[in-house]
Amino acid sequence: MLEVKALSKTFTSDGVHYTALRDVDLRIEKGECIAIVGKSGSGKSTLMHLLACLDMPTAGQVFVEGSETSKLPEHAKNKLRNEKFGFVFQQFFLNGRETVFENVVLPMRIRGANRTVISSDAAEALNSVGMDDKSHKKAKDLSGGEKQRVCIARALIGRPQVIFADEPTGNLDSQTGATVENILLELNKNKGITLVVVTHDDDLAQRCDRVIEMKDGRIISDRRRGENGI
Amino acid sequence: MKFWDLIRIANRNLFRNKLRTFLTVAAIFVGSFTLTMTNGLGDGVRAYIESQVKNVESDRVILVRRKIELPPSERDSLAAQEYNDGDDPGVNFDPNSIIVTLRQMEAAVKGLDGVKSVTPRYNMMGEYITLDGAKKYKVMLGMISEGITTKTEAGTSINGPGQLVLPFELAKTLDPKIENLVGKTATVAFKTKDDELKIMPLKVVGIATKGLMTNVATFVDSTTAQQIHALQIAESDTDKFTGFTVQMESADAAKIAAVKQALAEKGFEGDTFADTQERIYDAIGIFKMGMGLVAAIALLAASFGIINTLVIAVLERTKEIGLQKALGMGRGKIFAIFSLESVLIGFWGALLGTLGGIAVGVIANRILIAAYAESFEGFTLFVFTLPSILTVMIIVSAIAFFAGVLPAIRASRLNPIESLRYE
Repeated sequence: MLEVKALSKTFTSDGVHYTALRDVDLRIEKGECIAIVGKSGSGKSTLMHLLACLDMPTAGQVFVEGSETSKLPEHAKNKLRNEKFGFVFQQFFLNGRETVFENVVLPMRIRGANRTVISSDAAEALNSVGMDDKSHKKAKDLSGGEKQRVCIARALIGRPQVIFADEPTGNLDSQTGATVENILLELNKNKGITLVVVTHDDDLAQRCDRVIEMKDGRIISDRRRGENGI
Repeated sequence: MKFWDLIRIANRNLFRNKLRTFLTVAAIFVGSFTLTMTNGLGDGVRAYIESQVKNVESDRVILVRRKIELPPSERDSLAAQEYNDGDDPGVNFDPNSIIVTLRQMEAAVKGLDGVKSVTPRYNMMGEYITLDGAKKYKVMLGMISEGITTKTEAGTSINGPGQLVLPFELAKTLDPKIENLVGKTATVAFKTKDDELKIMPLKVVGIATKGLMTNVATFVDSTTAQQIHALQIAESDTDKFTGFTVQMESADAAKIAAVKQALAEKGFEGDTFADTQERIYDAIGIFKMGMGLVAAIALLAASFGIINTLVIAVLERTKEIGLQKALGMGRGKIFAIFSLESVLIGFWGALLGTLGGIAVGVIANRILIAAYAESFEGFTLFVFTLPSILTVMIIVSAIAFFAGVLPAIRASRLNPIESLRYE
């Protein structure tokens, strides 16, 4: 599904170079549930951004379903992200003044979908996160757990093949965090959506099938459940 | 993303910060209001003058007068000049220098192609006019040269000897039903050079239309004018005039231009009615441009308001833009949203500004008509035409669009990851 080869990323600001990724190779199969862990500055977020075609690598290649994406023009990458990927962020990035419905349907609006398609898909997405009764509430009036469920619905509505979750439980207490984890893992199990989670949270990482550990821009371990003592 | 969605999003974004949007729209409102008012005033004055100058018209008559060449020393006569004892006193302008004699007039047009007739400008002094001989009214006599027509409220313009066109107000006094006057005979009285009162019966062929240009004088034809002139002016001066009119056979512009050129070479200045109108319209055009400049400055100031509003909006919405980009919204759409926001600000400002301008203009017109209807018959101070209103709205929206370009480009170029991290 996703593959990176000899991937490097160097950031330059004010003439200072900082290498976030060094020569990383990784292959993620369809339907996998994979956690990328590591301390802050280890390059895990950068890796996710490159996998998700949100950023350009300095060197190396990114493949989505076998085709190289780093050479695609911007509009093609936009279309790819919109149609194949879903995103869940630690800070939610909901528009508080808008309703839950409007927040959830944003990817579909960007896609230019029909009104009828949008509302039926929204109902389905909200239903799968258990938020269908709050669709007309303003996003700012929700609790943290509810907000993150709305974000998952937003990631889900476009029927993506991969959901990228950047610290999805980072802003939640352990109980609501667990609910959000359950929803994400169920989506992976039941709908076969590939799940790429970037997290500090060991509990969440341990629930994934595969854990990639990063340090100083390199992958230092790649363990599957049942191997190497997970 | 659908265009309608973009407009909806842009509109919602504007409503997020109502006060800021309102203030920016208010600045645009002031500019549009000013532009609407100055346009309306210019159009009003132009329409009025147009209706006035068209009351007396001809497409083939050239009004000619002697070109006055001041001696070189007099050209900059505005500068103070020192007086030395024995100098020529005062202004050295000879009033006789504008006089044209009959012989000079005939020599001037001799051999010119396309000239049908030449008529000197006869001056007359009327005493009174009467219809029944009992009630007399003061009269000011004017001459209508051949080829010139005056607009009439009733009857026709002068087209032969022994005819007369009455001014509207005088006609109404003579008979409230002015149509009845057409075809009647009026008697005009004037004093001869020997101070003898003479009367002359003339046929009323028309009643001049309302308006300043036609409402002062009672017009007679050139033959009648010549007769009165001959009786009033001393024998030695009867062939001296202040100018003359040349009537062309047709309205052929090339021939008219050739005649004007030939006259200029002989020391005369010729103007057609079109020339005069053009000069007046040019003057109005300059007036409108000057006023428009004031509005343009107001709009320029307002467009900085738009830029400021949108630059702040881009900063405020950096994270939102980052998310939209992450979810696949292209640069073009981001640009479009911000551009639409600025165009909407411009559009609302322009709409309210023009509506406000029209409302104030209509009220001003009412007050003006109530106060000055008598002296400015048919004058509407502010005239609002659809093309001029649409022009204002399009110009203002375009200015707003251009003001929005810079912030919109900034927004469209934001990097999604950096934007999502923006604090």
